[in-house]
Amino acid sequence: MMLSSHRAWAIRLLTLCLVVYVSLALDSPRISPDDPGEHCNFKVTFRKYRLILLWELKNHSIVPTHYAFEYTIMSKPEGMKIVKNCTNITSSFCDLTDVWQDMHEMYIPLVKAYRGTALLVQCAGSIMTTNLAIEPPDFEVVGSADHISVTVSFPSLAPMVYKEDLRDHASLVIEEHLENNVKRHEPPINGSFIGNFSYVLNDLIPNTNYCVSVYFESIRFTPTVKAPLKCILYQPGQESVAVAISIVYALRQSGYVSLHTNFPKALIFKNFVPWTVPDLPLLEDVNTVEVCYINRKKKVWDYNYDDESDSENEASPRTSEGGYTMHGLTSRLLSQIPTSSATSQASHPEDSADEESEEPEEETQPQPQPWLPAALGPSPGQRECTSESCERTGGLPQDLSFGDNDSNSTEGSGGKITFNVNLSSVFLRVLHDDPEDSEEASLVLTPPEETVNLEESSQETESSLLVAGGEKLQVLFPSLPPKCLWTGDDLSDESDTGSSDVDDVRDGYIMR
Amino acid sequence: MASRCILQIALLLSFTTSLSLSYDLLQLQQQQRSSNSACLKLLRQVKGKPEHCQQDRMDFKFPEEIKQPRPFQKEMAALVIQEMLQNIFVIIRKEFSTTVWNKTIVDDLLDKLHQQMDRLKSTILQERPEDTNMTTLRLKSYYWRISRYLTARENSICAWTVVQAELISKFPIINSLTDYFQD
Repeated sequence: MMLSSHRAWAIRLLTLCLVVYVSLALDSPRISPDDPGEHCNFKVTFRKYRLILLWELKNHSIVPTHYAFEYTIMSKPEGMKIVKNCTNITSSFCDLTDVWQDMHEMYIPLVKAYRGTALLVQCAGSIMTTNLAIEPPDFEVVGSADHISVTVSFPSLAPMVYKEDLRDHASLVIEEHLENNVKRHEPPINGSFIGNFSYVLNDLIPNTNYCVSVYFESIRFTPTVKAPLKCILYQPGQESVAVAISIVYALRQSGYVSLHTNFPKALIFKNFVPWTVPDLPLLEDVNTVEVCYINRKKKVWDYNYDDESDSENEASPRTSEGGYTMHGLTSRLLSQIPTSSATSQASHPEDSADEESEEPEEETQPQPQPWLPAALGPSPGQRECTSESCERTGGLPQDLSFGDNDSNSTEGSGGKITFNVNLSSVFLRVLHDDPEDSEEASLVLTPPEETVNLEESSQETESSLLVAGGEKLQVLFPSLPPKCLWTGDDLSDESDTGSSDVDDVRDGYIMR
Repeated sequence: MASRCILQIALLLSFTTSLSLSYDLLQLQQQQRSSNSACLKLLRQVKGKPEHCQQDRMDFKFPEEIKQPRPFQKEMAALVIQEMLQNIFVIIRKEFSTTVWNKTIVDDLLDKLHQQMDRLKSTILQERPEDTNMTTLRLKSYYWRISRYLTARENSICAWTVVQAELISKFPIINSLTDYFQD
């Protein structure tokens, strides 16, 4: 009796175990590639204004080589529909912007994962239109002097979701985060979300870090996806610094600002030795004039206007490169005047009015009328005063003579020199001791003819250079001695390239 | 003098009434949207998986004139909404099964549907049109087909899953009709 009761209990226990085992075995999940199950996680999103369906295999150990996407709807007993752009794809998403266009429909997606030709797994799901997550738009945050500007990037065409304008289903929201405070902005946007949209955040606290987030908010599409915060330190006036820096950079790039490290020698102050600036010369200083003795025979003009005589006896007036006829006078300082003879020579005076005026015509280039003093003849060549023999002079050398063929002869009476000057053009130059420091001031004027009396100017204590300009005499170069007369070494009838002790023969100048 | 005062009073009353009515309609609109969102959340809690019930799918033929957008008058839009909410209420209360639904969820859903119907009756549908138009008749046929379907499938999980999807897919239409309250 007891044995039967024990057996009954054993049988019941075994039966119970068997039932449990069978139920467990039947309920155990079996992954069969032919049985589409919940092997994937599906997510539908509105990304970059495109309807995108993404999936991910729950079993990450399964690595397919490609996918095939199909779908159907729950409202009608229809078969699976193939999406052409999502067949045999390696990516785990599919663009369904132009495929799923009924927002009231429930879609059943089916994803087949392959490795080669072998089907690994099938994923099925259900997508409600209300499960759509609208991803936030791209935006930028820029700080200005008195505000923060938020620029949202919209596409060039109105974004459509399920064939309807997104503007009809969602609104743009801008959140302003300040520490623990969040301020919500709903900027009014007229029309669709097209182009770039800018919104200004005012009433900001200076020197405060602000963070901004932008997103779409919709009643129909419940998931709200907010953009990551973009933070900026609000500093009024920082924009001006940035602008200044950018300007400097632009100038440097364009070459206006050169930041070189190789300075020219003049700017290298490594061996700088302080030196005092020399005093400026007094205005009353008299420029030195070199008087050169030239022992040369000089043909005396016999007042013969014959052409032959002119051509034979007179050297052709030397024409400068500028087309001017040069005339020069040599003068001698009083201290250097030998008692015996004066070696100053001067070009013979000529009738400058007519003949000299013709000379420019012979020139190839049109030039102003050369200035020819009446008492001076053409000077084929001249030389500058050397520093050795030049001394200051304060008056007209007494031995100044003109038309003296003999170098040893002197002419002139009592230091008085009179010559006619054609002031149709005046060429002046100031000479100094140092030829390198010579100032060559050329001034061409067209003064009327007038006779200049050197006697008058010789009495002047102060040197001055008179230049006729029109009807008015103008005083130029007051520091020049008025009686520095200078001539070259070719006042004789020799050629210009003749015995000239000075290699550098320049244009003749007359200084009065 | 008296007539002028009466006229001014009448204008003031009408202006005030329109303002209050506009405010009531705006409030009704917001309440409707809120109620729809709550009902959707409850309807999604059916235990079935749509992807597993593809063989039980059924085309219940919802009236196209309501599905396609067209201008509705405020009263007509309210009438259509009222008809839809009322039929949903009847189907769920009659056919629900504890194997498919959680009873608490069902009670909450029925309560929200009843509240919304009362608001419509107290505002726009105070004077309901005597003639029942074709739109409401087609709606009645549509929901009768759903009820017959559930009975034939013995309220299975897949049948309720199919009906769940069908009811959820029509709530956005209710939201669209709510926009006509402010015409």
